Amino acid sequence: MAALALVASGCSGNESKPAAAAETKPATCPQSWKAGWQRVANRIHAVVYCPTWMPSPIDGKIGGQWDNGVSVERDKSYLVSFLWHEPPSQDVHVNFRGYPGRTKIPRCEDTEVVGGKVRTTHMPCFSDPHGKRHLGGITATMYTVNRGVDTWHLLYAWHDHGSLYTVSEHVILPLTYAKVVNNLDRMVRGLVRVKPTN
Amino acid sequence: MKLTRKELLVGGAAGAALGAAGIYELVDKLADSSPSRAAAADEPEQHLVNGLRVEKKEGVEVVVPLRHHEVVTARVVAAEDQLVDARAALAAVLTRLDADYPATPDGLAVTVAWGLPYFQSYVPEAARVHLPFDRRARKEALLDSVRFPSDPDDTILEDNHVAFLLRSDNEENIRTAATEIAERMKGALAVTSIRKGFAGQMDGGMGLPKEMATAAGVPGADLIPDGSELFLGFTSTQRNALGPTKIVNFETLGLVDLGPRSYFHGGTHMHLSHIFEDLEAWYLNQDFRDRVNTTFRPRMLVRPGTQTVAQPPSRVSSVSEVRRDYDRFGIIGHSSSLQPATRLQEDVLGSDGTLYRKGTAIPQRADFNTLDNPFFWSANPKRDRMGEGPAAGLHFVVFNPTSDDFHRNRRAMDGHMPGGEKLQFAPRAAGQGFNSILKTTHRQNFLVPPRRHRSFPLVEL
Repeated sequence: MAALALVASGCSGNESKPAAAAETKPATCPQSWKAGWQRVANRIHAVVYCPTWMPSPIDGKIGGQWDNGVSVERDKSYLVSFLWHEPPSQDVHVNFRGYPGRTKIPRCEDTEVVGGKVRTTHMPCFSDPHGKRHLGGITATMYTVNRGVDTWHLLYAWHDHGSLYTVSEHVILPLTYAKVVNNLDRMVRGLVRVKPTN
Repeated sequence: MKLTRKELLVGGAAGAALGAAGIYELVDKLADSSPSRAAAADEPEQHLVNGLRVEKKEGVEVVVPLRHHEVVTARVVAAEDQLVDARAALAAVLTRLDADYPATPDGLAVTVAWGLPYFQSYVPEAARVHLPFDRRARKEALLDSVRFPSDPDDTILEDNHVAFLLRSDNEENIRTAATEIAERMKGALAVTSIRKGFAGQMDGGMGLPKEMATAAGVPGADLIPDGSELFLGFTSTQRNALGPTKIVNFETLGLVDLGPRSYFHGGTHMHLSHIFEDLEAWYLNQDFRDRVNTTFRPRMLVRPGTQTVAQPPSRVSSVSEVRRDYDRFGIIGHSSSLQPATRLQEDVLGSDGTLYRKGTAIPQRADFNTLDNPFFWSANPKRDRMGEGPAAGLHFVVFNPTSDDFHRNRRAMDGHMPGGEKLQFAPRAAGQGFNSILKTTHRQNFLVPPRRHRSFPLVEL
């Protein structure tokens, strides 16, 4: 795993400005966010999805104030994460994932100690499907039980040309389940594809 | 449907709270009209409700729970020389309620249960002679409540003198009865808490638990499956999972020595607790498969989305099966871990002449969903840690033949098997059944006298 260091940036404000002003879907990745998403697409040699709207206060600028890290695995699957955290327990946390060249739901590992023995179990990283949602050109399945960094998130997953993509958001104060569903609907509706240029 | 401020907030004196429905006004707005049910004669037992309907849900026989539930706890404040008068006054109110309402779902079921502090403080000599004795435990049949291994350290072990359990499909009947009892007993009883709730309506719609929790804005409410009887998404009133009518009577299974006059013949034991349920953790951390593993037993085969799982005597888990699940999966299911303690391990011919078959359930649960936090009203809000706004939970009411029998059941839920083996779990570990998402706030054990001695028992001796 190669994790890029967080890059401090100038304050981008509390609003997700690029798309906040307009409900209509922009045709392209917002100018100030595009460079980061293009770098990820080029790194994995596959399409990535760039958001055009993000829930306040975070934005979708990789390397920006709310960047919570980018990681790319050997199989080119990626995770791009954005986080606002207000102690003790308020978060706005959004994860974007992509699994180029595969559509199967990945397996996650869980380890716990029971009766003094370490037990490792493997399970689907996304489970409990709650129906499909048609958002813009994307037909996504909502999963309510998710693992790893998507634990306690609602997650939307969809296929694009033989690859699996997801976006998830943490259900935690100040957000409610209904608000997270609205946020995910709006995020997915606004996603734009960014193709690799190398 | 959103709640008004009036529906959310209930404060002031106990009298006002007894007459208020608060959020529970919504139950009748959301539920279908009550089905008419057959009336039946009163039984000598107080804990039985006549005319309960049995329906098939997903092919399984299910006892339809009563819609409205309320528990009012109180302390005796009458002077000792006024207890005989207080006894007559309460008996008169209860007799009048019996006359006004049949003990059926359409009417009103009133169960009066007395705590150990009452017997110790007011009738200690008579209690020493007449309180039932648990032969198996070699202890009194009524014991102080205890904290169990999975309970938080701050679970409050209560010391109420008396609890009134009121059940009906008609909320107005409960409000009228609770108010009448409180008004008539003013000066003899002081209300300490009021606890309210409801049970699922199985009409194929969204179901009361989901509708009520959603209206209250409880976190995780949106994820409750449509039509479920309880907040946790599974049916718990399968006919086979509830004890037959008289099995919990002190005398039925022969667990109890009733003393020289069998004063409490026809009575039973009641445990009352309040439990918060973390619905978000349940539905966002555990998928359907995990929830089946946790609720029933690991690897149980059920169709996705199933809510009602048959629990027949022939498929009861044994200690060795629970142990095997623990060894293989590190998990014990809630039902399977309980069954070695809650189901008969052999055929028993009851004192009522009934042959109770091996695998028959003993406890009679009367638990109900609540949005109390943790109570609807408390005389001591600081001690009871009364919270703001509604919270998903359960008022757990269960009848067992003795306190020790309930304690054995509850310890089994924590992996302490009959026979003494302890399956090692950290408190509230994920593998330990429901415990990881439950938080018990209050507990108390009570004795339920037979109907003829339900008012200030032993005072007349």
